[in-house]
Amino acid sequence: MTIVSGKAEARRTLQSARSDVLRKMWEHRADYAYVLPAIAVMLIVIAYPIYYTIELSFFNTPPGLQLRDKIFVGLNNYTAILTSGVFWQVTFNTLIWTVASTFFSFVLGFAAALALHRDFIGRGVLRAILIIPWVISAVAASYIWKWIYHSDFGIIGAVLVELGWAERPPNFIDSVSTVLPSLIVVNIWREFPFAMIMMTAGLQTVPEPLLRAAKVDGANAWQRFWHVTFPHLRNVSTVTILLLAVANFNSFIIPWIMTGGGPSNASHIWITHIYELAFGRQRWGVASAYSVLLFIILMTLGYFYVRALSGNERKDGGA
Amino acid sequence: MAHVVLKDLVKTYGSFKAVNDVSLTVNDGEFVALVGPSGCGKTTTLNLVAGLISVTSGDIVIGDRVVNDLDPKDRDIAMVFQNYALYPQKSVYMNLAFPLQMRKLPKDEIDRKVREAARVLDMTQLLERKPRELSGGQQQRVALGRALVRDPAVFLMDEPLSNLDAKLRVQMRSEIKRFHQDLKATIIYVTHDQLEAVTMADRMAVMNGGYLQQYDSPAQVFAHPANMFVASFVGSPAMSLIPLEASTANGGAVLTSAEGWSLALSPRNAQKVARATTRKVVLGARHSTIKLHKSAIADAIPAKAYTVEPTGDVTFVQAFLSGAIVNISVSPNVAIAPDEQIWLEFDQERIHLFDSETEVALEAS
Repeated sequence: MTIVSGKAEARRTLQSARSDVLRKMWEHRADYAYVLPAIAVMLIVIAYPIYYTIELSFFNTPPGLQLRDKIFVGLNNYTAILTSGVFWQVTFNTLIWTVASTFFSFVLGFAAALALHRDFIGRGVLRAILIIPWVISAVAASYIWKWIYHSDFGIIGAVLVELGWAERPPNFIDSVSTVLPSLIVVNIWREFPFAMIMMTAGLQTVPEPLLRAAKVDGANAWQRFWHVTFPHLRNVSTVTILLLAVANFNSFIIPWIMTGGGPSNASHIWITHIYELAFGRQRWGVASAYSVLLFIILMTLGYFYVRALSGNERKDGGA
Repeated sequence: MAHVVLKDLVKTYGSFKAVNDVSLTVNDGEFVALVGPSGCGKTTTLNLVAGLISVTSGDIVIGDRVVNDLDPKDRDIAMVFQNYALYPQKSVYMNLAFPLQMRKLPKDEIDRKVREAARVLDMTQLLERKPRELSGGQQQRVALGRALVRDPAVFLMDEPLSNLDAKLRVQMRSEIKRFHQDLKATIIYVTHDQLEAVTMADRMAVMNGGYLQQYDSPAQVFAHPANMFVASFVGSPAMSLIPLEASTANGGAVLTSAEGWSLALSPRNAQKVARATTRKVVLGARHSTIKLHKSAIADAIPAKAYTVEPTGDVTFVQAFLSGAIVNISVSPNVAIAPDEQIWLEFDQERIHLFDSETEVALEAS
């Protein structure tokens, strides 16, 4: 067979594959009809806002001007954002916030799951207590922590002074240098139970015979963990970290309620900053440009993540 | 290699006795099968030997050491599990190397032993694969290899063939038997399948309810079952057990059925019946020892064929006698229809008699 006829062959199979797809779609036309209403709703509540945000990002919307009178400014919003210092500060804050929160929530949650995996009296009660931070309202938790951190009335400051470790209560959330770590602590406190639940579920699926085999093979407790338990938890770990990272990237409630992004933008992360630009200062155009940038960043991360994930699956045969 | 001694072994869970006073000796190089129905304590016994669970009382001796308080890794044993228990993320090579790595052997020695084991088990070409890329039989071979590289004193095998399909099971059965013959290995093999025990083991320990019922060579267990449980458990189809009543008539011993028929006993069998604690005696007969006649002859007992199962080589006929199912095997060219009148003749030399009270086999003195 010559190369030319090989190409022709390939084209033919491609064409037949295409008509195959169309034929299959036609066979399933009823199924498409069933999902049509859902798709229509999705288009209205998701696709249109996305389009409108992209459109707005090319306009200037001065306060006091009606939205339909918006002024086209081309890429000005984008250049303004990328050349401003605030953009880089907020981006840096978001990265610190996401990476630190995700990492420590996962490690703490995994440790708690391991500690509570062994059977002992009171285990159920302890598990229930540890889940509390995750189930209470984030808004309520933020207000509580605001008081705990309060420089005049906060319990942490009072205890530190009482113990003689500090002369006066520290300014946890009123100081540029400590506000972000303080908020990250609250965030970790709030979401480590999620990691704990996920990892507990994972731990319960580690096959008992494998652990026994490792025991007979001479592995000690740490080696059994490293060679059997941990590899078995790789997939659930990946999913947990992904979900935590996405949630942290999109965080809003804790920083907004506790500091509103202050002092001097030190605790602003992307979402709080966009919210303030849009609904605080009515700068819809700039806020939209920010949103578009965030959208692009998250989509890029998501693409690489999915590629890594499916690459793993190919290597492992999908398990 | 080493011998293994279990001395008055007991394992209790709360008030439940999983293993009751089990005592047996496995000689150096011997293949012993622990066999019994599920829940009989055979796997518990194996786990006790492995050290995966702790002994309630009694002793376990491997080689010349009492190993009761030793960790599994210090007992010089290797174990093959029912579902293979291969490490899914490791290649076949790393699976085989793992127990050696845990013992901190030098790299080149590990490599040499792994390749040797792979050669013995004919899986050198599989070394780079992951377990999930292997067939069930290949996985089983890797599990055997992982035990083999250790060069342990005793191999413990926990139902290693029960996850395989029927054809592969027969093939692996002979492979494990060959493995035992070549290595002169001491093997303790747990199975619920009496056929595996009979075909593979030098000696079989039949267990039920946590008690050791009989410990002997398969031939002896088959020919002289110690009690009704062993009689009905070993052999397929199961030995027929017919409840009858002993009495004397015309100076000889006779077994009478509630159905009205009776069977005159030979002097030797009469002697056995005389030793029973009760007059109620159970007659046991294997399918191959019962002769089936299509017309009445002296001493044959009338019955009705219930089902007829041709298997190709032999045809199994089932009938009811005294309310018990009786299995008879006949040549496939004997045509029998269900509900046909048949006559059954027992071979006095080859029937078994049991005390219905104690269920123990009756022996002539």
